[in-house]
Amino acid sequence: MASNIKYPENSCRWFIEGDSLCLITNVDSEGDANTTARKNWKAIQEAVTDGILLYYYAEPNGVSSLSDVPDIDNSLHLALVDYVKRCLYMDKAGQSADPNASTVSTSVSMQHQRRWDEAVKRFGMKKRDKTGGMRSILPHSLT
Amino acid sequence: MAVHSITVKQILSRVRQVFPNAPEAYVMNLINDALVEVGMYNSKVVHAKISTAADQMWYDLKDAAKDSSNNILEVNKVFRVYFMDNDGDYILIPRLLDKDLLLTDVSSESVLQSPDSR
Repeated sequence: MASNIKYPENSCRWFIEGDSLCLITNVDSEGDANTTARKNWKAIQEAVTDGILLYYYAEPNGVSSLSDVPDIDNSLHLALVDYVKRCLYMDKAGQSADPNASTVSTSVSMQHQRRWDEAVKRFGMKKRDKTGGMRSILPHSLT
Repeated sequence: MAVHSITVKQILSRVRQVFPNAPEAYVMNLINDALVEVGMYNSKVVHAKISTAADQMWYDLKDAAKDSSNNILEVNKVFRVYFMDNDGDYILIPRLLDKDLLLTDVSSESVLQSPDSR
């Protein structure tokens, strides 16, 4: 079922507050403009099945068995090894009675931390960007 | 060419090269922690549809929130929202930067966090 809103790009707005999506409009359930200027922006006043389409970054599925393949792009799989080693080396540093061994473990842990950060945060998204080719700008037609 | 990906078992075996006694369950927990962190970035882009209810301003995006097909949303960051127009087409709607609305509604406030009763 379609909505009664003809131009959602002009009549609807959204924002996020904590864990909630706020959706507002300045038209009523018939698609006519709200007449009260003070209370112009209100909730959507009609029930629309599948009315909202969201695009978002989602949580990858967790793993629960040895045969599971992590639910992320395979280019990030090796980074998971770095993450695990980072944690295990830090655990080892905390358990070690020998200060030298502890220092070495901490520094190896930091090295894995750096690799994890580079793979996931710093370069990961750029490397995985599926856009290729020359950079050019195609402006909208003004006619 | 088949895509090369590694399983949890292969990750575990790589870890056990240096930590032979690393417990399987602990490594799996660490992998899940890593996946939560990866999810903050654009590792998994998903789209979902939600139905609107008349006069409802707030829509739940908590971890357990569901879309109109009853799938769990698992939202981390919303970056685009479309609304269905009167032709049934989805039209991109702008995000509002100024959140100081004069009017709010009480019918959908249950979506928002309320103080604990304890």
